[in-house]
Amino acid sequence: MGKAKPGVKFAVVAAAGALLLAACGGGSSDNGDSGNGDSGATKGGTITYLQLEEQFTNLDPQRVYTGEDLAFFNGTIFRTLTAYKFSADAAEGTTIVPDMATDLGTPNADSTEWQFTLRDGITWETGDPVTCEDVKYGVSRTFATDVITNGPTYAISMLDIPSEEDGSSSYKGPYTGVGQEAFDQAVTCSEDNKTITFKLSRPVPDFNYTVTLLSFAAVPKAADTGEKYDDKPVANGPYKIQEYTKGKGGKFILVRNDAWSQDSDPYRKAYPDQWSVDFGIDPTVIDQRLIAGAAADQATLSNALQPQSLPIVFNDPKFENRRINEFDPYVRYFAVNVQKVPNLKHRQAIAAAMNRDALLTNAGGAFAGDLADGVIKPNIGQDYAPTGLWEGLLGQTIPATGDPEYAKQLIADSGEPMPTITFDYPNTPTNEKAASIVVASLQAAGITAKPNPIEAGQYYGVVFDPEKAHEVINAGWGPDWPNASTVIPELFTPSGGFNLSQADDKDFNANVDAAKIESDRAAQATQWQELNKYAMEQVFAIPTRFGRDQRLPGEKLGNAYLWPAYGAWPYGDMYVTQ
Amino acid sequence: MSVLVQDNPAASPPTPDPDQGEEIQGRSLSAIAWGRFRRDKVGMFSLGVLILLLLSALLAGPITSLMGVDPYTLNPEALDKANGGIPLGCGVPDASFFCGISREHPFGVEPGTGRDLFARVLYGMRISIFIALSATLVTTLLGTVFGIVAGYLGGRWDTVISRLMDIILAFPFLLIILALSGVFTQRLVAIGVPEGNPARITYLVLVLSLFGWPYLARIVRGQVLSVREREFVEASIAMGAGTRRILFKEMLPNLWAPIMIYATLTLPTYIATEAVLSFLGVGVLPPTPTFGAILADSVTYMSIIPSYLLIPGVILAILVVTFNLVGDSVRDALDPRASRQ
Repeated sequence: MGKAKPGVKFAVVAAAGALLLAACGGGSSDNGDSGNGDSGATKGGTITYLQLEEQFTNLDPQRVYTGEDLAFFNGTIFRTLTAYKFSADAAEGTTIVPDMATDLGTPNADSTEWQFTLRDGITWETGDPVTCEDVKYGVSRTFATDVITNGPTYAISMLDIPSEEDGSSSYKGPYTGVGQEAFDQAVTCSEDNKTITFKLSRPVPDFNYTVTLLSFAAVPKAADTGEKYDDKPVANGPYKIQEYTKGKGGKFILVRNDAWSQDSDPYRKAYPDQWSVDFGIDPTVIDQRLIAGAAADQATLSNALQPQSLPIVFNDPKFENRRINEFDPYVRYFAVNVQKVPNLKHRQAIAAAMNRDALLTNAGGAFAGDLADGVIKPNIGQDYAPTGLWEGLLGQTIPATGDPEYAKQLIADSGEPMPTITFDYPNTPTNEKAASIVVASLQAAGITAKPNPIEAGQYYGVVFDPEKAHEVINAGWGPDWPNASTVIPELFTPSGGFNLSQADDKDFNANVDAAKIESDRAAQATQWQELNKYAMEQVFAIPTRFGRDQRLPGEKLGNAYLWPAYGAWPYGDMYVTQ
Repeated sequence: MSVLVQDNPAASPPTPDPDQGEEIQGRSLSAIAWGRFRRDKVGMFSLGVLILLLLSALLAGPITSLMGVDPYTLNPEALDKANGGIPLGCGVPDASFFCGISREHPFGVEPGTGRDLFARVLYGMRISIFIALSATLVTTLLGTVFGIVAGYLGGRWDTVISRLMDIILAFPFLLIILALSGVFTQRLVAIGVPEGNPARITYLVLVLSLFGWPYLARIVRGQVLSVREREFVEASIAMGAGTRRILFKEMLPNLWAPIMIYATLTLPTYIATEAVLSFLGVGVLPPTPTFGAILADSVTYMSIIPSYLLIPGVILAILVVTFNLVGDSVRDALDPRASRQ
């Protein structure tokens, strides 16, 4: 993917016959263009966003990490150095364009140093200019890990700042100021306060993708209130926060930011006058409102439809022009805890026994997606190659319904007694049925299996605790940008942030480190493909499906397509037809 | 329960002879009560329905195997994979109200897995009734013992037990059950209850009883307070009978009616509560079916597979209502003075 220039001016995309004909309004060159991407696109109106949550998990840019929230805030209130192009096309929609920066950044020869220059005329909602120091200060906040929680930690792992013995950074963030000198050396600003330079501890050829994350967004030091910044951050995008009340019936209202100028921001179109997020609405009610499509709800959107709404929406031709059924960025899998199931044959037996077909049907059949063969999803682009997991990687071809006899044989070959397998999952009715299928699959192969429901809100807190996690753990993961460097190292190495498998394979770790710093993107892609295959052969995880997402936007919403970069709405590109 | 109220303790031998009572009155109290119950048409009808339901729950295994279904087998052929994995014929524009129901699956199948709902409802009913019955027995035992002790011994005992009841009644019951479930089931496992469903069922029975006994204990205590002053009790005391004998041989027979009534009315509320707890996820583990788990899943599909919610819901309602009606009739039969005119 890299830094290829997007060359198509008006990409007309009709994906799966279910999408609106979406003209892509994103920048057509590296400098972006200046608007009017779409013939029907006009300014004005209010887009209403119905949320079942009672508040945003986080609003502080350095703490936001879910795809939908990143897309929403990035498209409306927070600008980043670079950003993903607005396009429904899987390849084009995951390329990047400059946002606050004048270009896509300049690396040095070995990609260990990256420079970005800010455009002229970028201002905060207060009217003050956004400077390099603001970006630098924003990045520094990630290091205050006691205050700035939940956010991605790429700044800590990538910037050239020495680590302490326990692995934490020697810089403790701007609030304590411990290690400030090391940070000031790693991130520097030019004399005119326009150009920011990041010095990295290792080559990162796609660092300009990393900075699309809001954790690299700017924050004005004078306005930083630490933990409380999460309730009232300062905007530099086309909108600013007018109201934020949490809880059922709460609202989050964005109005136009008068200090923002289109000249400084060719990326965002800022069509609607206002955004209104309504919190705490029952998901069934959300779906009913979208399906009914009353006059007040025609410029309304929400996230994924509930399973019971899908047959209604997808069997009725009147929704044909607006329903969306696309692959999302996520791979659903069961992590296999290699510390608790150290015998490879045992892990392979678990994989071979699993009735993946029944699990897919239970998750929603064709609506739930396709059977998966690895943790890298085809829509990531060049990093995907079929692993052949079910076509012989486990020793023989395994049907989608599982092969209990072969699993029994693997256990017999292992020469050790099979441990009892406990399946950890968040407690919801659908997962309860999935747990029944898992238990039945394993029992058919003569494996003692037990379900372990965990309260959904506490799920990841529990399974991340090696003391509390069991043998097989229900999980899902999507890449942070289109490079498997945000998948394989995160899921299967000790330094990764999502290593539910507790994997620590010396050769594998070394190969991952080598792949991370590979500067030839095509060679790197091959390495990720091999590592994905190896991880599957070792059964660090059992991939269950490449997920899909179904949505129904209001009738009057323009550019309402699923944006592949985040598997979310292209908030900065949407408009209300008048 | 042929023991009679001894109105004339002086004439009675130390151990009351039931036969002697029958000679005097001709019929035992239970026979009289049964006679009254038989004349109660609603009671008899409810009892019939209830016995039918109880039998089908008890014989869930043989009945389902006779029908060639079981609650755990997946039936992917009954599902429409292209239409979200819901039962064939459901969720399409001209879907019938009873979509998914066929001769093989009289109650339809579960969306997502295709497991037979007839079998799951029967097995679910069995577990629910087992839990409710056990909890009712423990509740009745605790309530009776504490009620008698508080009422008869009075003084400090009464104060302590009454305050304890007040405290328990003031607890937000549902919240505590949800909050404690994890820790408490682990404790049960630590003291030797088998992990998994046995521990979870034990937990449910214990918490239901723990929060349920004060209601019965208050009734029993009130009853004891009035009986304690009666002459035959005073006479027993005068004759030097021990406390235990007075409590359980002299007074308990006079308390059977309220206890029976309370127990028959508690059982259905426990069936409903068990369903609520399973619905909230602290009940029995999958794949074991319960009413709560079935209902929790079915509400999601309410609009496209109405029978999935309605059939188990209506059966649960019938079970609870018939238990209540039988309980009412038992009260009328045992305690005619309190009966509705």
